[in-house]
Amino acid sequence: MIRYSKKIKQSIIIIFIYLLGILYFFPILYTFLTSFKTEANVVPPSIFFIPTLESYSIVLKSKIWPYVENSVIVTTVTALLALVMGIPASYNLVFSKIKKSQNILFWFISTNLLPPVAIAIPLFLIFNYLNLLDSRVALIIVYTAISIPIVVWMTRSFLVEIPRDILEAASIDGCTKLRTFFYIILPLIKMGITSSALLVIIFTWNDFFFALNLTYVNAQTLPVYMATFMTKQGFFWAQLSAISTICMLPPLILGWISQKALVRGLTMGAVKG
Amino acid sequence: MNKTKAKLSVLHERKLILPAVVVVAIVTQVPFILTLVLSLFKWMVLRPDLGTKFVFFRNFIRIFSDSNFYTVLLNTFILTIASLTLCMIIGMVFALLLDRNFPGVNIVRTLIIAPFFVMDTAIAVIWKNMILEPTVGFVGYFALWTHTKPIHFLGNYPLLTIIILVVWQWTPFFFLVLLAGLQGISKDFIDVAKVDGANWFQTFIHIKIPLIIRHVEVAIMLGLIFILKVFGLIFATTSGGPGHASTNLPFFVYKTAFWAWDVGEAAALAIITIVFVLFVAMMLFKFLKRRFVEVEL
Repeated sequence: MIRYSKKIKQSIIIIFIYLLGILYFFPILYTFLTSFKTEANVVPPSIFFIPTLESYSIVLKSKIWPYVENSVIVTTVTALLALVMGIPASYNLVFSKIKKSQNILFWFISTNLLPPVAIAIPLFLIFNYLNLLDSRVALIIVYTAISIPIVVWMTRSFLVEIPRDILEAASIDGCTKLRTFFYIILPLIKMGITSSALLVIIFTWNDFFFALNLTYVNAQTLPVYMATFMTKQGFFWAQLSAISTICMLPPLILGWISQKALVRGLTMGAVKG
Repeated sequence: MNKTKAKLSVLHERKLILPAVVVVAIVTQVPFILTLVLSLFKWMVLRPDLGTKFVFFRNFIRIFSDSNFYTVLLNTFILTIASLTLCMIIGMVFALLLDRNFPGVNIVRTLIIAPFFVMDTAIAVIWKNMILEPTVGFVGYFALWTHTKPIHFLGNYPLLTIIILVVWQWTPFFFLVLLAGLQGISKDFIDVAKVDGANWFQTFIHIKIPLIIRHVEVAIMLGLIFILKVFGLIFATTSGGPGHASTNLPFFVYKTAFWAWDVGEAAALAIITIVFVLFVAMMLFKFLKRRFVEVEL
């Protein structure tokens, strides 16, 4: 009898947790559902309706493409550059005898603590002077610099765990240093590389502050389009939902795939620090 | 030749770190120093006739004698503390609820962390136009169903609206970190506590919290740093208004720089923002250190 009531109590808690999860996710779910409705069907809100791709076809025929292109190019190039510069740096910090490597690591991290407003004005003036305002290059430069510390911070915790024996063995077997780096070290920190790359992609894709301040027309990315859609296009809820879905989906999928690696990266770097 | 150098098959060229250091230094440190310099000048971009003048600390003096500044400072303080507290509490509740095994637990976790990956401006637009809108948004329908007057969140409670949005976006981060902590606790500790007759609450306060205190610290410190930067949510919902009612420090700097084009004063404000961030972070760190010691004893 007692066991029976305990089971009921457990089930009630679990149902409550399910409801809580759905409630928390509701704004995203609602946007997602609305994006498959026609404008006329948006109000009043309904759960049952005939899904249509109408708003997507309108949105995809509109001026969204340049923004998508900018976002994709800026994000991809930033992630690549950040990895190419960040991984050797954290490798150097962990394995090479660099004086004050702790201080350099701390310096890297501290640059990320700086509020973006602290550097936005001079960056604007400098890029203006170099004629790079409103260009993808400017965005890529800034995002790369912001992303490198993330890559260093996240790959470091994986590099530290590589047993030195493996590197000694490689040396005895006559494996060159370059080969060791590419064929032994990189595969061992695959998880760190993926999770930092995903984090960089998510942050860059979503960043609004620099995209807003360093671009006007040509290099604007999706977050800026998102912010100005209502004032430019007027009130079209289904279209707005379709655009929001397009903007949300890539980082959501990447985030969901990588959540385990992400938590490990975030907490390992800090908790064991 | 160095002994370890011979043993380990490792590239020792220090050049490897250079590109990263150079890029980060040029893009973040140089502008930071320039901000410091600019804060001592009077430079109105829209009034080139006035020229650029060295004015020492007059920008700072003007800011400190401006009543708007104190409104903004208070807003920043309220926004940060309220959001941080709520994120911590809700994140902890979620983490405790989901630190168990039942069918579909991963789906629920996935649903809860979703807002963390959504861009600021999308969050702002969705909440502003589809949830909090008093006529066709969900708040409007809720009022219809319950025969009450809809609450005009954005107009009447702008700062509260921003807090709601920040909490919705950042609770998942707290949840993730705290859950990682809770899952790292060995089951033996909990079992021993149960055998000793500790109830659920005692187990939580005396066993779980001390064991995950590092995770709590990490969540608070990183959360604080991110929440102090909040910008996009404000831009795309209230634009800091009405007046300065929902403006925080970063948004105030933005308005001064890119709306009023008062470069000197904006730079001075940016410096004050940094000092504020450092101050709050240090206070919090000290507080946590003290708490930490107490818990350990």
